[in-house]
Amino acid sequence: MITDFPAAPLPLPEPAEVDSELAALGGGAMIPKASRRTLFPVITKEDVFNLMLAQRQAPEKVVADFAEAYRSYVGAAYALPTASGTSSLHMALVGAGVRPGDEVIVPAFTFIATAQAVVAAHAIPVFVDIDPATYCMDPKAAAAAITDRTRALMPVHVHGLPADVSALRALADRHGIALVEDASHAHSAKIGEQVAGSFGDAAGQSLMADKNFPLGGEGGIAFFATEEGYERARAYLERHGIDYGMSWVAAAFGASQLERLPYYDEIRARNAALLGEALRGTGLFSPPHVPQGHVHAYNMYRTTLHPEAVGLEDIPVFAVKEAVHELLVAEGVPAREWQNTPIPCHLPFQHRDGFGNGYPFTLNPGAVRDHRPEDFPVTLGMLDSTLVLCRELRSPVEYERILRYADAFRKVARRPDAIRKLVETRDYRRPYDKAARLG
Amino acid sequence: MELFDTATVLTRVLTTGVVMSIEKSDRELPGLERLLTKQTGRTRAVLVNSRTAAIHAALAGQGIGHGDTVAVAEPDAATGRFLDWLGVGVADGGPVAYDHVALDPANADRLAELARTGTAPALVVDLTGLGFGPAAAVLTDDDRVWARAERLKIFGAYDLRTMWTQEEADASLVPGVQFNYRLSPLVAACVRMALTQAARPATPTGARS
Repeated sequence: MITDFPAAPLPLPEPAEVDSELAALGGGAMIPKASRRTLFPVITKEDVFNLMLAQRQAPEKVVADFAEAYRSYVGAAYALPTASGTSSLHMALVGAGVRPGDEVIVPAFTFIATAQAVVAAHAIPVFVDIDPATYCMDPKAAAAAITDRTRALMPVHVHGLPADVSALRALADRHGIALVEDASHAHSAKIGEQVAGSFGDAAGQSLMADKNFPLGGEGGIAFFATEEGYERARAYLERHGIDYGMSWVAAAFGASQLERLPYYDEIRARNAALLGEALRGTGLFSPPHVPQGHVHAYNMYRTTLHPEAVGLEDIPVFAVKEAVHELLVAEGVPAREWQNTPIPCHLPFQHRDGFGNGYPFTLNPGAVRDHRPEDFPVTLGMLDSTLVLCRELRSPVEYERILRYADAFRKVARRPDAIRKLVETRDYRRPYDKAARLG
Repeated sequence: MELFDTATVLTRVLTTGVVMSIEKSDRELPGLERLLTKQTGRTRAVLVNSRTAAIHAALAGQGIGHGDTVAVAEPDAATGRFLDWLGVGVADGGPVAYDHVALDPANADRLAELARTGTAPALVVDLTGLGFGPAAAVLTDDDRVWARAERLKIFGAYDLRTMWTQEEADASLVPGVQFNYRLSPLVAACVRMALTQAARPATPTGARS
């Protein structure tokens, strides 16, 4: 079977399955091996047809029409389609007025592209810790990192939860610096009725095919609050001869997918609510925190472990997490770490070669730090105590599957004895004691 | 390129359900890499999403970066501006850092011939003119050039093979700045079709007369 149609239907779970032996200990798995693959993105006959129609149009028009349709959806004033999320972030920074040698404050917990886009703009990423509840940039930490050379704050709406935009906006205004969103996880995420990508002076967003809103492979888009910012970014590309153009093939696929984005959003919200209700009942797990008025897009779903709730408080939380991870994977739930090390501790930010010979870090040596993981205790605490689901809440994940994921968490949470035994027989290490992982 | 042919290829790839460059089951990107290495006689290919990405990869692959100077064969104004943005100066004379070939429907059948004239450590092939959007490749016989160029791409081949681990035995291979220069499998499939059809004699129809 090569389409997104499931190879075999999953039966609705039976209550007794939650009480059965764990798969890791010889019992049956909640999700049988033959039914574990999650295909993404959804590709329909409309997508195929729309691609066929697009090839009869001028490529520039296909790309421009897509950008305008999505700009309108997001509610941003100006949009610049690009080849990737990294290039969109680069353009957002340039549009916001970031210049060579400037400092841009970014969270230590994000995808590496956030910080690499700052380097692409010939600026210096200054890393700060995250908020313990939202896992987004901590406004207090950002405030403490501001210097005379800070040009922008660059919060990430990590996993799809909008950052504390009101606090960060106030901070940026107080210091006369820009607010640039990394909205790469946050398609359709909202604060009130405002959509992520339209909060800041500028924003960048990945549209690669593994995102909630996928283009045909790779793509990105930068948003700007002002015409001045938009024109600054366009002029920069022209002045430097950079080709960040989006392929019409990707744009046509995206224009077609955009029609179904609200449907995808509802499926994810429904699945997240269902899973969250199940997790709250386990004691061991809790769902993502969502502040009042925020709409989480659940590009990823990060669950937090509470070992003390099941009598495992004497075991280091990272060891409980590793054991739970092992048990969940055996049940067929593709839980994972998604990042195991603060970004400033990845090799490119330890070596800091940049474009070569240390540029642009050499422009502003005072902003450069040799970071250790311990410099970001909240990030470390989160990495120790949380696990992530990535595609598992998205359409076309079936209702039966999400029920079975929920039951798998229940099944594991009921077996602290198995978790303890596993910890005793394994040599688990803290996440950041292992080689840094990008995803 | 015939619209019918492009439609067929796009439909074929969409039917597989694999449009992501980081999908392990993707066959389009490796397929295009094989075709390009075969046609150019080079052993390694790095696929990227634009001509400027390929220039960047060709230079980074050779360890050429900010503050360095290279010779470039007949750089146009846009290339000159891009090299300036990279911080790479242009020198007169000496061996060129990369050769450059730009393909379009009129010369797509001559890639092998055009590639033969190149002597630089890296060959930049601009595939944008084939009509599917910005696309390019770097061809090389040097594994080290290939390895460094792949590391310029976040989630390039290196990251995927090692399950995205950022650990290097050789410090000289540690990437500096990184971009998502990855090419979409959909674009790669169309480019592959265009190159394959250009290389073989046209057949008007398969139907019996």
